[in-house]
Amino acid sequence: MTAGLAVAGLRAGYGRETALDGVDFEAGAGRLVALAGENGSGKSTLLKAIAGVVPRSTGEIRLGGESIREWPRRKRARAVAYAAQSVDLIFPISVRDLVLQGRAPWRSGFLWESGEDREIAEEAMRACDVLDLAERDATRLSGGERRRAFLARLLAQRAAVWLLDEPTADLDPRHRLEFLEVLREAHARARPIVLWATHDVNEALAIADDLLLLRRGRLVAAGPVDGALAPEALERTFSIGAAVERDAAGRPRVTFFRPSS
Amino acid sequence: MKGRRASPAGAIAAAFAILAAAAVFAVLVGSVPLSFEALRRGDPVARAILSLRLPRVALAAGTGAALAIAGAALQALLKNPLADPFLLGTSGGAAAGAAVAVYFGASALASPAGAFAGAAAATAAVLLLSLRSGRLDLQRLLLAGVTANAFFSAVILLLFSSSAGGRSRSMLFWMMGSLAEARPSEAAALGLYLAVGGGLLLATAPSLNLFLVGEESAASLGVAVDRTKALVFAAAALLAAAATSFVGIVGFVGLIAPHLARLAWGNDQRRLLPCSAAAGGALVVLADALSRLLFSPAEIPIGAVTALVGVPFFLLALRRVS
Repeated sequence: MTAGLAVAGLRAGYGRETALDGVDFEAGAGRLVALAGENGSGKSTLLKAIAGVVPRSTGEIRLGGESIREWPRRKRARAVAYAAQSVDLIFPISVRDLVLQGRAPWRSGFLWESGEDREIAEEAMRACDVLDLAERDATRLSGGERRRAFLARLLAQRAAVWLLDEPTADLDPRHRLEFLEVLREAHARARPIVLWATHDVNEALAIADDLLLLRRGRLVAAGPVDGALAPEALERTFSIGAAVERDAAGRPRVTFFRPSS
Repeated sequence: MKGRRASPAGAIAAAFAILAAAAVFAVLVGSVPLSFEALRRGDPVARAILSLRLPRVALAAGTGAALAIAGAALQALLKNPLADPFLLGTSGGAAAGAAVAVYFGASALASPAGAFAGAAAATAAVLLLSLRSGRLDLQRLLLAGVTANAFFSAVILLLFSSSAGGRSRSMLFWMMGSLAEARPSEAAALGLYLAVGGGLLLATAPSLNLFLVGEESAASLGVAVDRTKALVFAAAALLAAAATSFVGIVGFVGLIAPHLARLAWGNDQRRLLPCSAAAGGALVVLADALSRLLFSPAEIPIGAVTALVGVPFFLLALRRVS
């Protein structure tokens, strides 16, 4: 199950509108892959298609060589975990109950959570630094706390693939860094394949192994971040001038600018 | 979340104990009070009163339970604390459907079929009207519900204005709800519908828990989203139809009871659905007792009592949502 994720010819859309227009890529076992692109480039749709929650999609999605499309829903949910961009909650729910939802695909029907489920949820809350908030109402948490609670729910799912849709978009710099730190540590421990959508390229470059650039439902570039990161690909992806520099550790950094025509 | 780790069985037992207490109270009070003492003596008047009040209380409890469990499930499914069979127009559709069936000569016990057709049509229409780019819009939902209710009231009005007298049920019965004509056969029939509809909803409770965060999230956790939605809408329509065809429109119970149960016992749907049913039953039983007591010996329509309690409740809930 630790083998790679392979996507081929993936198309998806809503109604008559096409959001993904033939995407191919492979993510090796344990890779942390950032997915960057403008708003509306298809990042969310790509994650939803892999999670199986998009209305219609065609193409191949293979995990460890097996086509996960044919898997029963719950088996798929045990292998692929998805954290939506929205963390809106209307009804009060304790952080603990929220995190326990991650155990749903592992539990049959009407059964109450087992002791093992509770332990796994506690461990996930500890990893995401929300154990102290376990009995708090998740609707009353700050944005950063709530993001970490949802990350804990995803961890509790114990899946081989984690799909995260712009988990830091609404966070201030401090909470953003805290979140990324927690994510990086959790990834280092469990070694899942992470696909993580962001529109902040530098955030992606700071922690990702690989980078996928999407534009209008198609892949512009894909590859390891420390390899060749061509300014041209970035310029095409974001329709703006881009310059790539490297810091002392050799990590690339991108500066965007308006081309002076 | 206040500490609510009470055992599920304990919470459900507590809720049903409240329902039982309310039922005993409602059987004893009325224009002529009843005492255990007189019943034990075998007093014929007391026994006659008991045989009148028991089916009435049973029908009230069944009505409240059906509407409340439907409301609780709809609230979770739609992630909307204002969802309720009355506000969504389902009860109105059911009343109009049942009225049409009775108008064309169906017996009172067969009217649930007409009510179900009306409830299903109303649910479908209101949901379609409240879609905005594929998503349910709260404002549209409320507006569509109000519009549907106005339409169905007009249908009922039209039917009964154009019909000669002597119909078994009056216009007021459908529009304001009444328990005055409760019969044991009706209570038993409602119990059957409640067992089917309530059982279906209970079976979806674990999935409904996941809907509380959102549809996509539920789907990603392995829930068959479309099947669950179809099932909940169908079961809610069935329950609203059964309750409405025997008692008429009783509004706001599906809104109030789940909120009270949620406050007392938390929001885990596996516990909330049965607790809401008990709370709804107790609510309508008490509302009925009140309707008999307030202007005794005259009676107020049960729907008027629940609306008087329900409207302030609705406004409170609306403020919290927006």
